This record gives sequence, C-alpha cells and structure tokens, in this order.
Amino acid sequence: MIHFNHLTYTYPGASRPALADVTLRIAEGEFALVAGPSGVGKSTLLRCLNGLVPHFTGGVLGGRVAVAGRDPVAEGPQALSHVVGFVFQDPESQFVVDRVEDEIAFALENAAVPPAEMRARVEEALDLLELTSLRVRPLESLSGGEKQRVVIAAALVLRPRILALDEPTSQLDPQSAQDVLSALVRLNRTLGLTIVLSEQRLERILPHADRLIHLPGPGGPALSGPPRQVLHQMDLIPPLVTLGKTLGWEPLPLTVEEGRCFAAKSQFPIPNPQPQIANPPSPILQVEGLSFNYNGTPALRGVSLTLGKGELVALMGRNGSGKTTLLRCIVGLLRPRQGEVVLAGESLVGQETADICRNVGYLPQEPGALLFADTVADELAITLRNHGMTNSPPIAPADLLTRLGLSDLAASYPRDLSVGQRQRVALGAVTVTRPRLLLLDEPTRGLDYPAKRELTRLLREWQADGTGVLLTTHDVELAAQAADRVVILDQGAVVADGSPAQVLTASPPFAPQVACLFPDTGWLTARDALAGLGRLPA
Amino acid sequence: MLDARTWLFWAMTVLVIASSTRNPLYAILLLLIVTLVSAICAPDQNRRAMLLPFRFAATAVPLAALFNALTAHLGDTVLLRLPDWLPLLGGPLTLESLLFGATNGLVLTAIFGGFTLFNRATPVRDLVQLAPRAFHEAGVVLSIALTFVPQTTRSLARIREAQAVRGHRVRGLRDWLPIVVPLLVSGLEHSMGLAEAMVARGYGAVSDRAQPLRSQALLALGLLMLLGGWLAWLFMPWKRAALSGMIAGAGLILAVLRLAGRAAPRTAYRPRRWSGRDTLTVLGCGLALAVVLLPLPGRATLAYAPYPRLSLPPFDPLVGLGLLGLLAPVTVSGSRADHK
Repeated sequence: MIHFNHLTYTYPGASRPALADVTLRIAEGEFALVAGPSGVGKSTLLRCLNGLVPHFTGGVLGGRVAVAGRDPVAEGPQALSHVVGFVFQDPESQFVVDRVEDEIAFALENAAVPPAEMRARVEEALDLLELTSLRVRPLESLSGGEKQRVVIAAALVLRPRILALDEPTSQLDPQSAQDVLSALVRLNRTLGLTIVLSEQRLERILPHADRLIHLPGPGGPALSGPPRQVLHQMDLIPPLVTLGKTLGWEPLPLTVEEGRCFAAKSQFPIPNPQPQIANPPSPILQVEGLSFNYNGTPALRGVSLTLGKGELVALMGRNGSGKTTLLRCIVGLLRPRQGEVVLAGESLVGQETADICRNVGYLPQEPGALLFADTVADELAITLRNHGMTNSPPIAPADLLTRLGLSDLAASYPRDLSVGQRQRVALGAVTVTRPRLLLLDEPTRGLDYPAKRELTRLLREWQADGTGVLLTTHDVELAAQAADRVVILDQGAVVADGSPAQVLTASPPFAPQVACLFPDTGWLTARDALAGLGRLPA
Repeated sequence: MLDARTWLFWAMTVLVIASSTRNPLYAILLLLIVTLVSAICAPDQNRRAMLLPFRFAATAVPLAALFNALTAHLGDTVLLRLPDWLPLLGGPLTLESLLFGATNGLVLTAIFGGFTLFNRATPVRDLVQLAPRAFHEAGVVLSIALTFVPQTTRSLARIREAQAVRGHRVRGLRDWLPIVVPLLVSGLEHSMGLAEAMVARGYGAVSDRAQPLRSQALLALGLLMLLGGWLAWLFMPWKRAALSGMIAGAGLILAVLRLAGRAAPRTAYRPRRWSGRDTLTVLGCGLALAVVLLPLPGRATLAYAPYPRLSLPPFDPLVGLGLLGLLAPVTVSGSRADHK
C-alpha cells in the first residue's frame, strides 16, 4: 500500500535532511505506529504520504514515495485527498466552519459530490465515529476528544484508503484519548483502513499496532517491523516494555494483560508497604475553600489544598475538571468567587498578577504565548526588567541557562527551537525571579521521553532548593515518577489527595502500567519494580 | 430556522431605518426590537455574548454624546462653556448637542446589535453559500476571516495573561509590543496550519483550472462599459446612451460571472430552502421600510433635531407600528432547538 524507497528530504534553508534514506513498506490494512524522539521527522514522514511535503513546504526531496499505486510528489495533496485522509495534532486549528456536520461535509462540498451521496457519506462518517448525537452541535462546545473525532470524520468522509494521524491524542486526557483510539481501532478492524499514526506515548498505541516504525534520529536507519521486534532495538520505551526487556520476558508484553502472566510467575517477596511517617514540610501554599464560576457554571467548588516547601504535587483529572482554573486563580488571572490563597503566610487574593508572579512562576499550557524576544537570553532579561530586578537578579541568567541546558542557545531565536527547548526557555522566563512556588500547566504535552526525563531532573533540582511545585498533568507515568503527592480534581472538587501509591493505584484511569501489573506492592515505576525484584543494576 | 438571505435582509433593514432617523424615541424602539429578536431567535448560553450590544452602548453613547457636545456648539441650553481659544472645542457645551450625540450612539448601537444578531443567527456555512458560485473561494476566505475574529480575541487574552505572569504591565504604546508580536506570530502559524489542513482535505482541487482568457476579456469589457457609461452619465449630455452602456456593462458582468460559476461546480450539503417563515419576515421588513421610507401624506418626518432648544421628539404611532414589522422573526421562529 505504502512504499518509501530511499526517501531523503531537506526543508528549505536546513543544513541537514529531516529524513535521510528512509526505506520501508506498509501493507494494506495495517495499523502502523511511527515513533522516535521530537524533531526526528515523524510529522515530515506522514506529510510525505499525501504530498504536503514537498508541495506545501518546499524543500528538496529525493527517492520515491508510492501510495496506493500513486505518486504524491507528482500529483500533490489535493489529488491525494481521496486516498489519504490527514489528521493534525491540534483539532481546533483544522476547523473551517462552526458546526459538526457542516465541518464534515466541507470537503464533499468542495469536491462537488452530489447532495444525495453527500448526505449518505456524512451519515456514514457520523456513525463510524459515534458522532450522530452531536451532529448539530457548535464545534466550540465539544470536548477535546469529540473535536478530534470530528476531525477524523471530516478526513474519512472522502473515503480514503489510508488515514494518517500526527499525534492525535497528545492534547487529550486519558479517557478522551482512549475514545479516539477505540474509534481508530474500529475503523482499522472493520473497514480495513490502513492507519499510519505518530505518537510520543507509545504505551497507549502499542497494543493495537501491527507495525512499529522507529526513526532514531540523525545517522541511524529507520527501523520497521512487528512491534516486539523493533522494541528490542529501541531505547525510548514504555515502563512495561522496559520491565519485559530487563527481565527477559518473551514474547515481550505490550499490554498489562500480557504482562500479568509473567508477573504472576515472578518470584519476589511481597512488600509490606509501611505508611511513611514523615514530618510534613512547612506549607508554602495554602488554598482554602476556593470557588469559581464561569458564566454561572461552577468550575471550582470549595477546593482546599496545601503544598509544602520542596514538595511536588501532581494535580490530575479529566479535561474540564478545573485544574487550569485552579492555577489561574492562584496567580490572580481569575478572581475567585470565594476562598483564600495564601503564599508563605501572605494572602494573594486581590493582588495583581504581575506582583504575585515575582514569587510564583506560572508556566501556561502553551509556552509559545510567553516568547517574543529576539534571543533566548533576552527572554530572561525582559522578565527581570518587568519586575525591576535587572540590577540585582536573584539568580544569574547565565547560570539559569546552564541549569536549563540552554547556554549554547542563548543567542538563538526562541521560536526556532524544538518543543522541549522552547518549553525550557519559557521555564527560564518565569523562574528567573527565583520563585518560591512553581505552577506548571501540562508541562509534558508534546514532549518526548528524553525531554520529559530532563524536565523531571530540573524539577528535582528546584525541589531541592525548597521550591514548591504544583503541576497539572494527564501523564500518569510522570506523576508516578516525580510527584510526592497526587491530588485528583473532578468537576471542580478535590476527590483524592494522598501519596502517588495511594491515589494512583486506587483510581484505574490514573494507574500506571507497573501498578496495574503488580497491584498491592506500592510499585509505580519500572525502577520500583526492578528494585523490588532485586534486578536493579548497582 | 430562517434563511441566511432573510437574516441579511433583516439586518440591512435595521441599518437603513437606523440610518434614516435621529429621533431618540425611534432609536430606542429599534434597539428594543433588536434586543428582543436577539434574545428569542438566537439565545446564547454565554451571557457575555448576549450583553455585547449593551456593553457597546455603554461606550458608544457617552462617547458620541461627548464628541458631539465638544464639537457642535449649537443649542440654547448651555451647560458650561470652554475657553474660545481652544481650537474646535472652544465654545458652549449644550444639552441639545449632548442629546443629539447620545442619539447617534443609540443609532450606532442598534446597527451593531442588528449585525451581531445576523452573525450569531447565521452559521458560517450559510454565509459561504451567500457568495455567488464564481466567488466561492472568496466566500470561504471571508467566512474563515469571520471565524478568525473570535479566535484572535481569545489569543489576545491568552497572550496578555502569559505576559502578565512575567510581570508585564500595559502602561503605554510600547508595552503592547510583547503582546502584538506573539499575537501576529500565532495568527500566522494558525493560518498556515489551517491552509495545510484545507489543502489536505482537497480544498482548491476543483477550481484549480484558470478562467479562460475569453471570460477575463469579457469581464474587463463589462467593467469598462459600466465605468464609461457612468462617467458619460455624469459629464456628457447623451444620458440615454450612457444609461444603455451601463446596463449593457452590468449585464455582461453578470453573464460572465454566471458562466464562471457554472465552470466551478459546487454542491451544498443542505441546499438553501426558502420557507413561508422567510416570506413573512421579508414582508415584515418590507412593511417597516415602506412606513419609514415612503412619503405618505400627513406622516411626520423621521428626522428630529433638538436644536435650537430641546423639545419633546415627535412620535408617529404609524411609524411605531411599522417598525414592529421587524419583530417578524420572533413571531415566525420555532422552538429553541431550531436555532443555531
């Protein structure tokens, strides 16, 4: 169905190719997962399928691409739209009109499909993606998962044979992501649709993939084959696979169910987790009975929580549960209806955001909104100037850049950097005042495994300095690795607050793979399990 | 649900009537009608959206009143006097000019409310269909531009907040730079993303072929005839020939557009259907227009000036009844589920 033959592609003005000598095949009806670090060319590879590369991007392309017997490079993306449906990362950036069925019909209207056939195809797409009940809804009223399903339906309505998806679940909470994945698996199994999907969080997709394509980065050849075979040659792998590879489990388990057979055979003393009786750290942040309404609809209902010095608390919950609203209330971007926010004994309610943020670093979901200066170094200098700290910075900007691993990029234009680097620049811009409290809103969105590891290291360093960290995340593995405490919000109220071992294992949607595999052990990460099994290398 | 053409006609009627009067009583009546139609025909969960015309009025009415009072020094009821040496502003500030300016603000609010309702009541897809087929692409671009306005507003709010958390305060023009630069960049990034998504969905594939040279030449000829006829009408004695030239030019343009539309095949998911409700609404608007615009014998004029001394504005019950024709969308509208 798809054949890349010695494909090499270089973006205009780039010094080295984004894809170098890629040769691989994808058979009809396969579910292919494209993996690899950020910036390695996953999106570029997908865009070659329908000719967006090089028709939309320019650049130099060598080698050959054949898709369903056609040449996307010669024919272009418009002609290939009937063969390859394409779904981008952010659903909102793809909407042309404002209502579900109108959006789905848009491509058919442009293709001048007769009205009777058009109605039949729209019905078919609505049925396939289980959107019938939402057909007349305005798009802005849908949840993230529903929006992504609308985008998939809009791509399918031209009845393509291949569906290419560029990180379609990266912005969704676990349940919404699962809904989207279930829809894709159904399409793949029932219609025989060939699916090519790129993703950072492999654990979600691996159980459904027939083929895993790994782009290792500059110099390394692309790997393609059955997932278990390719996973043996990859470093960036989910915790379950890490365990399986270290413990020699064969065939390598891809799902928790598969792993349970091996876990049951593992001989290990059942640990008896003792409740840790440690003095709670002195509080840096106290939130008491915080309530907030959006247009009369409660978004926060009497939220109370405490964060200690040097403590890292992960705030979890479904999209719309109030996580971001809570952070925005703390930094004064929203005025709570009632309640109190106290930072180190001082009430923050009623203070200006700019004043609060001398002591509170807040990283919003889209770090790009923070960046506008010509260089990375300027971004830090501007924050210092805004706070009147240019002459006496609490931390030398050069030292902070080194700590962030950005010293070599000090003179670079921030918006030219990778997602992970941009995020670190934004972190630098909000932490150069050396805040006592750090609020991070979905900091791992779009980050690959190494970037996440790097972020975790940075957070540990800040914690060691006594900085309290409150981060919202859907990433259960990050919460398991980094958090001292986990708080779960549901419909604007705190429904769980405790240690990661208590909270994550008690709530199935938030349970990490290792906790599912070894219940009642208190193990959350592959490292915990390997240590418990006595297999952790010295 | 009313047809987009009906809503457009309704909004245009509000525009014409509002532009024709400076009588505060008629302006207030018009504003009440627009508010009522808006609340019943296009209810919005978002209270801020519903209150938008009132927020507009809160700014427009005082500003228009102040501007008129400062620049038009007419009227007998002097409230205070600015020094004469002040250019333009110097002179008496009168109650009459203040009231006349406030009436201008009310008129602007009524027009704003009418078109806000048109925007809310008409799905973007229907707006695209309003464009002639030959201008389908331009219609799509225009409709996307309309959806960009609220998106840009949201981006602006997001970026202002992001800069505020870095200690940024907006005090002068220079302080807008950290907000405008990311706004422009994110707008461009969003445009590129949308363009890429539309191309991937086959947008532009049908209309890729260029218009034949003959069509382009005929269109240019039609425009020349129209322009030439108009100039001749203005400056030459042969009016009949000039009029014929204008009519022929306009006919040629319409014919070329019709042919170009046929060459660009388009279909509609839900073709527009004209219903009895649309006819009734158009009749209601027609009644309002007729009462306001036709020179009926014995009818008082819509014009009202409070100068030189403030007097009670006249109110003709016939005009008042005629304006109620604009309530037709309320009387013919169905259930809430019918609406956008």
